[in-house]
Amino acid sequence: MNSLSIYVARESGLHTLNPITKFVLTLCVLFCGFTLPGIWTSYLILTFVIVPLAMWGKVTKRMIQLVIKISWPFILSVFIIQTLFWGQGTALFEIGPLAPKIEGGVFAFHSSGRILFIMADFILFSLTTRPDTLMISLKQGGLPSGLAYIIVTTLQLVPQFVLKANTILDAQRSRGLETQGNIIIRARALLPLVLPLVIGSLLEVEERAIAIEARAFNSKRVETSLLDIPDTQNQRYARIGLVLFTILLIAGRYIWLS
Amino acid sequence: MLENIKKEFSTRTLVLIPIAIAINIAIGQLVYVLKLPIYLDSIGTVLVGALVGPWAGAVTGGLTNLLWGVVPPPLQNAFLPPFFYVAAVIGLMAGYFGKRGAFEKESPRWLSVIIGALFFFTLTFFITAFLNLKTDETGYTTYPTPGELFSSYLVVFIVAILAGAAIGYFLLQNGGYAGLAGLATGVVAAIISAPTAAVVFGGVTGGGTDLLVAAFRASGGNIWASVLAQGSVSDPFDKMLSFMVVLFILRALPTRFKAR
Repeated sequence: MNSLSIYVARESGLHTLNPITKFVLTLCVLFCGFTLPGIWTSYLILTFVIVPLAMWGKVTKRMIQLVIKISWPFILSVFIIQTLFWGQGTALFEIGPLAPKIEGGVFAFHSSGRILFIMADFILFSLTTRPDTLMISLKQGGLPSGLAYIIVTTLQLVPQFVLKANTILDAQRSRGLETQGNIIIRARALLPLVLPLVIGSLLEVEERAIAIEARAFNSKRVETSLLDIPDTQNQRYARIGLVLFTILLIAGRYIWLS
Repeated sequence: MLENIKKEFSTRTLVLIPIAIAINIAIGQLVYVLKLPIYLDSIGTVLVGALVGPWAGAVTGGLTNLLWGVVPPPLQNAFLPPFFYVAAVIGLMAGYFGKRGAFEKESPRWLSVIIGALFFFTLTFFITAFLNLKTDETGYTTYPTPGELFSSYLVVFIVAILAGAAIGYFLLQNGGYAGLAGLATGVVAAIISAPTAAVVFGGVTGGGTDLLVAAFRASGGNIWASVLAQGSVSDPFDKMLSFMVVLFILRALPTRFKAR
């Protein structure tokens, strides 16, 4: 699992925080960013909240690399579509049918800011939190073990699934399935690819169910964990404070609006 | 009711849900990368709805979109978590239709033909109406009357109805009920997802559906109308296809598996 997650091990204050504290912080930053008005808000949050946090966690460079890698296709797409296809507005210049609109550019700038800060927020969390520690601490905090099982298993299964899908693709191609060409050829290839993948995995359900039941999955006793996850009273107060602050901010924004 | 919900979440269901979510993400990401104007990211959700029930379907759908934001890149897609409620409703509806037997009862082929033709007719009507709307200086939008549309696009309408009928006959075959259930789910999904798409992302999510939004914007629609129009074109077709794929999967599964 570790090789598949983007977690980077560092000695830093952010890394030693309890995973639940970081999770609450991530969600609070997300909600605050969407609640506050203004085009520059997302960029301000990015510069004055997320980047300092990343510096504290010593992962700034890696975070920026990942954010850029993931978000550039979107930002390109949003700028092209919003500037060129914006209905009425002031055109920046005109070359034949191309007339990018300034209003569209402003809108695209706003959307891009949102995407950048959402990405950075989530990526910072994944960079500084070991995936298994979050689940263990959530379970200790009272999350139903069924839900915890679903989340952990999904995160492990998804990369495996993609490998399996590629194997099936190769196998069907070697049997002569056409997967390249026009849209009709590609659409026809869909079913022979999807069916083996889905049915093969569904037939595993029985085995997996028996396997986890044999390992006392349905036991009602509290599990013990090999990993010790530190949590302090201060962090508990900090979490409550963050949640209250976010709720007040959202409430304040809507009262002020109406 | 609480008893029913509890009954749905047996160990087998808990094992099935992660697999279904992985199916959603694997196929959905493939389609997203291919830039097709559909999503196909709810096959697993519909499958759980059909095999287990509405609540398990809703959990599968909601968690799919939420977890899509946190799986490791390159599979990660941060555009989808805000749509988790849409996916949950899709699972809920699939479960409801499954309970009503949409995946078991065989429909006569003539019904499938009518469903296909009606769907394409509505789709054509919608698109042509959108392409011909007029917005005056004050921002007031007038839509063309059905009569005008029929007279100016008669050939298009006839072709669309024939194409729809052919799709009904050859694709839906005797799975008309599943197709109809998919259409209904798609319409609901289009309506409830439009506000989030327009407000949060300005209608652009980086997938193939962006091309449709661009086309509608270019023909003069504002963000709201374009996003809703894109959803109305993509979603019903997408969900119909997903429901049909699930129907094929269910028919291919051994009876022993379904019996539980």
